[in-house]
Amino acid sequence: EAASLARSGGAGGLAQWVLVELQGEVEPRQSGGLAGSLLGDLHYTREGIPVLIVGHHILYGKVVQLEKPFAVLVKQGAGEPGAAGLHARYTVTALIKTKLLFKTRPKPIITNVPKKV
Amino acid sequence: AAMRSRAEVDATLQTAKLNAAELLPAVHCLSFGPQAGAGECCLLQLEPGLCAELEAGRSLVIRGEKDEQAVLCSKDKTYDMKIADTSNMLLFIPGCKTPEQLNADQASCNIIHSQIAGFSNNYWELRRCRPKLKKLRKLLMEDPYEGPDSRKDQSLTFPKYTTEDLLSLIQASEEEILHQLQVIDACKIEGYWRTLEFDYEMKLLNHVTQLIDSESWSLSKVPLRTCLEELGSLEPIEMIEHILLSYGRKYIDDAGEVYFEMHEDKICRAIARMLLQNAVKFNLSEFQEVWQQSVPEGMTTRLDQLQGLALVDKSSRPQTIFLLKVEDLPEDNQERFNSLFSIREKWTEVDITPYIQDLCAEKQTVGALLTKYARSSMQNGVKVYNSRRPI
Repeated sequence: EAASLARSGGAGGLAQWVLVELQGEVEPRQSGGLAGSLLGDLHYTREGIPVLIVGHHILYGKVVQLEKPFAVLVKQGAGEPGAAGLHARYTVTALIKTKLLFKTRPKPIITNVPKKV
Repeated sequence: AAMRSRAEVDATLQTAKLNAAELLPAVHCLSFGPQAGAGECCLLQLEPGLCAELEAGRSLVIRGEKDEQAVLCSKDKTYDMKIADTSNMLLFIPGCKTPEQLNADQASCNIIHSQIAGFSNNYWELRRCRPKLKKLRKLLMEDPYEGPDSRKDQSLTFPKYTTEDLLSLIQASEEEILHQLQVIDACKIEGYWRTLEFDYEMKLLNHVTQLIDSESWSLSKVPLRTCLEELGSLEPIEMIEHILLSYGRKYIDDAGEVYFEMHEDKICRAIARMLLQNAVKFNLSEFQEVWQQSVPEGMTTRLDQLQGLALVDKSSRPQTIFLLKVEDLPEDNQERFNSLFSIREKWTEVDITPYIQDLCAEKQTVGALLTKYARSSMQNGVKVYNSRRPI
């Protein structure tokens, strides 16, 4: 069986997404899973360096133009039986040509010790 | 979770001791979208050219039955797929802007709430590979066409394949499949792709060569119209035209008449096959004599016409020749070499080349293949290749 990577988005052209590459794993802070929970704030310096504040850490990264872009494949018919592995149907939803690579060790944010009143 | 406000963002900046003046005004507040953890999204790393194809609106297809390793096909190329793991986490974010985009769009909103669509620590990697076309020949040979007078039991129904059927069964791109159909001289009969049964093919060829002979035509100027007129009562005209197309080059002269320039090498080769398939091996010199006598007047037989079809055993006394068709050998590299080395222990490069040429990847040479899969040594002053491992 052929699984077709049909293009979604019709005449509008493919969306361009961005990849953020982080060290380590992503885990939910609360139980109940990740959906809806915040990751952090992404800023850029005036020189274009991405700065990500995640929890109590600051991460500095760099913008990388990917030599080999990625296509984002979204599985169709998730609930259907037999839609396992590569033999499910996929749609190409977006292209990724840019990634924000955060490889430096996160700097911990040391909050001020509250002054004694 | 409630969306963050500018005040909250600024408070975080302050706690982090970052100077807002050194930052671009816009901030992305990243959160996980509702489907982020569901694993429905995955990443496919694109080889050169594929990105442009997708942007041009063309599709890619993943092909493979459950027992086959999946391949990805563009319109004209085939790629193996492999999972690559990274030790990092990859988050994919729609609507996330780069610094350039933010600078270019001064009116951009101060806070951009971006939802992470998914994340992964692996992605699909592609590597260009040879299209897996052996199956195509195998499928079509399940039921070769034996002509309209075939005494084959018509009640037995064999599967027949349309172009669409082949596209879903063969792990190759459409162009590679269509090209291979041409290479194997397949034709469409009633909408289905068929190969001709060899005896029937020779029967058709024989009609044509006998006509060429009786009409004393030049081998490079065989008229289509007359062939159809003279032979149309013997065989379907589509078949006559097909055999001319298979064994000749079609052209149109200034008067608009269709002619064929016959392929001498291909005709000699087919006749050799017909002779050789009737026995295990032949005395070489006897074979060469009979072969030359069997080909149409004006054609000259040469052993190099039989590359990939027959093999000469120069070590036997007298020398012999036997049928060995490259298309009957395994498609996988290692299996092909194992097979060749079990037929003959040591090969010269000249002898083995026709039997491994088709294994060469895009920029690979026969020499590179031999280095990888064989071991060389000298025998009587000649370089020979044998297996790297015991067969």
